[in-house]
Amino acid sequence: MSIQWKEIQETFINSLLEEEEEEAIRIAQDVLSEGARPEQLFESCVTPSLVEIGARFERLEIFLPEMVAAAEIVQAVNEQVIQPSIESSGGEGVGSQGKVVLATVEGDLHDIGKNMVNLMLQVNGFEVIDLGVNVSAEEIVKVAEQENADIIGLSSLLTSCLPYMRDVVELLQAKRLREQFEVIIGGAAPTAEFAHSGGFDAQGHTAAEAVTICKSILAGVKE
Amino acid sequence: MTTHKTDFDYFLSVLDKAEKGNYVDENDWDRKHISKPIKALIKKYDISWDKSSVAVPTDDGLADRLFEAGMDLAVNTGVYCIDTHRQMLWTREELDKVLADCPLDVVVGQGKDAVTIYKRSPEEDKRVAVIGGPYGIPVVEEMFYPMTLSYAKETSLDFIENASLLTTHGREIRAKGPYDLVACWQEVDLIFKAIKEAGRPGMGVGGPNSSASAVGVLTTVSHGGFRPSDWNHNSFLSELKVSYEDLLRSAHFFYTGSYCHNFYNPIFGGYAGGGEGTAIATVAGMILMRACLHGDTFNPGTSHAHLSCSTYPEIITSKSLALQALNRNTNLMTSSFSRPTAGPGEKDIFYEVAAMHIAGVTSGVAVAKGVQSATGRFAGHCSPLECRFMADVTHAAEKMTRAQADPIVMKLMDKYRDGQVELKKGMPFNEVYSMETLEPTPEWQGMYEDVVDELIRWGVPI
Repeated sequence: MSIQWKEIQETFINSLLEEEEEEAIRIAQDVLSEGARPEQLFESCVTPSLVEIGARFERLEIFLPEMVAAAEIVQAVNEQVIQPSIESSGGEGVGSQGKVVLATVEGDLHDIGKNMVNLMLQVNGFEVIDLGVNVSAEEIVKVAEQENADIIGLSSLLTSCLPYMRDVVELLQAKRLREQFEVIIGGAAPTAEFAHSGGFDAQGHTAAEAVTICKSILAGVKE
Repeated sequence: MTTHKTDFDYFLSVLDKAEKGNYVDENDWDRKHISKPIKALIKKYDISWDKSSVAVPTDDGLADRLFEAGMDLAVNTGVYCIDTHRQMLWTREELDKVLADCPLDVVVGQGKDAVTIYKRSPEEDKRVAVIGGPYGIPVVEEMFYPMTLSYAKETSLDFIENASLLTTHGREIRAKGPYDLVACWQEVDLIFKAIKEAGRPGMGVGGPNSSASAVGVLTTVSHGGFRPSDWNHNSFLSELKVSYEDLLRSAHFFYTGSYCHNFYNPIFGGYAGGGEGTAIATVAGMILMRACLHGDTFNPGTSHAHLSCSTYPEIITSKSLALQALNRNTNLMTSSFSRPTAGPGEKDIFYEVAAMHIAGVTSGVAVAKGVQSATGRFAGHCSPLECRFMADVTHAAEKMTRAQADPIVMKLMDKYRDGQVELKKGMPFNEVYSMETLEPTPEWQGMYEDVVDELIRWGVPI
C-alpha cells in the first residue's frame, strides 16, 4: 500500500483553512481505513500541515483567526480519530513536544503577542497552558510546578514590567526549583542583555522564534 | 483650558456600561465579537481594493461604505472591559450624538506656545499640527535631558512627546511600584526644564511615558506636573478592549478638564485580519474611543503582527482608507503615526515616514505624530531629524490631492518594501547627533538632505 502523503497534506490543509471540521475528520478516517497507523497519520499529515499553517501565518498569508480555527480542528481530529484509534490498538497515544506554561507578567495587560506564541507552539505540537495577562510570579511558578511543565514562557511589552519577569527566576531559585524549568522571555521589552543578566535561558521577539527556541531547548534537554 | 465636550450624566453612563453590560468570556470576544463580524462586514459592505496598484485610495464610495461597516461593528460589538468582562454597547443614535457633539478644533499648549488643532477633511489645505518626540522609546537617565532638549529646540514641532526612563535616580522602575511614580515626576522635571531652556515654556508636552500604569497619569497630571493643556493620552487595548486603568485615566482627565489624545492599535494579521479588517476595526475604534474615553484627538496605530511597525505598505493603504472614512463622515480630529522598522542613520526611515504621512495628510488627518524609530524597541535609537523630516512632508502634503499622493506613496513603498523583513535599528541618538551642539552629524544631515531633494524631484512640494 502506498499512501500519497503530500496530496493528503494538501487536502488536509485546505480543510483546516476552510474551517471544515467534518472534512478534516473524514480525511483522517479515510487515511486510517487505507491501512495507515494513527502515529503515521499524525507524523506524516497532521504535524507537517500545522507547521505549514504556522509558516503561512509567519508570512501573514493567513491571519490569527485562521490559525486558531486550524488548531481547534486538529484538536477535534486528535480527540475523535487519532487518540481512539491508538487506544483501540493498545498504544500509548501521541506525545506532545513538551509542556509550556505561558503568561504576560504582572503589570502588563497586553495579550496579542502572547496569544500568537501560544498558537504557534500549539500548531508545532506543544501543550500550552496559557495563564493570561497580569499574572503574578507566584501564580506562574505554582502552575508550572503543578503541571510539571518543561518551559515557562513570559511576555511583556513594557520595560517597567521587566522586574516582574525577573521575580519568576528569583522565586524559582528561592524555592530551589530553578533547575526544573527552562525560563524563556519575549515581547517588545526584554532585550538579550536583560535575558542574560536576569538569568533567563533564552529570549526572542517573534512567535516563530519562540517555537525555534522551545524546540532547541527541549532537544538539548532530551540529549 | 480645554474642557471635554460631554456632560456628567453621560460620563457616568459610560462607567455604568463597564459594570452592567452583558457578561462575555474573553476567549469568545476575539473570535465571536471581532473576527467573525469583521469577516461578514467585509463582504456585506464590499470592502476591497487592488493592493498591487493602490497606495492611497481615491474611491469616496468605498470610504463611505467603510464608514458604515465600522459603525456597524461599533454598534454591534462595542467595547470589552477586561476587568469586569462586560460588553459595553452604544446604540447608533447614541454614537451619532457623540459624533455630532465633537468639537471642530482644540488648543494644546499655553500662551504664545499654544497651537490649535483643526478638524480636516481629505485634501483640505489646512495646517496640520505636528507632534514629534522619542515616543516612549526607553532611554538611559543621562541621555534623557539632552535628547529631550534637542527635540524641544526643533522648531518644526508644535508639541513634543517624551521618552521612557529606563531607571529613575539609579533605581529600577517597577510598574505600579513607588519608583513608577518617582520616574514620572523625574520625567516632569526634565521635560519642563527642557522646554524652558528651549524658550518654549508653554509648548504642549506628552507624558508620562515612564509608567504604563494609570499611576503615572493620576499622580503627575496634577498640580506641579503635566498641565491640562498638555498632550495627555489614553488608549484602547487590541482589539476594542478597555481596562479599568484606561477608565481611571479617562475619569481623571474628565475631572481635570484635560486635553486627551486617544489611540488604538489594531493588529494587522491579528483577530481583525488583514488590511480590510483592520480598516473596519480602525473606524469602529476611533468612534468608540470618543464615546468611551472622551478623547479630543484620535490615532489609529495599526501594527504589523510580527514587525510591530505601522509603515508596512498594506497597513498604510488600509489606514489611509479608514482615515478618509472617518474624516469624510465625522468631525473627529484624527492623526497619522509613523512607527517605522528603520532607525536613525538608515535611509529607509525617511521613506517609511514620508509614505505614512503623505498618505495620512491627504486623507485628512489633523495631526501628524511620530517618529517611533525602529518601532521604539531599541534604547536611545531615535533623533529629532526624522521628526523634522516628518514635519517637512506633512506640510508639503497639505497642498496635495490623494491622486497626486498615490503614485508617490507607491514609489516610496517600493523603496523599502523588500527590505522590510526585519528591524534595522540604525544608530543611537548620541551617534547621529553631536552631544555638544545637539545638532545632527554631517552624515545624518546629508542623508536627510538627499531624501528631501529626491522627494522634491518626485513632485512633493517641500
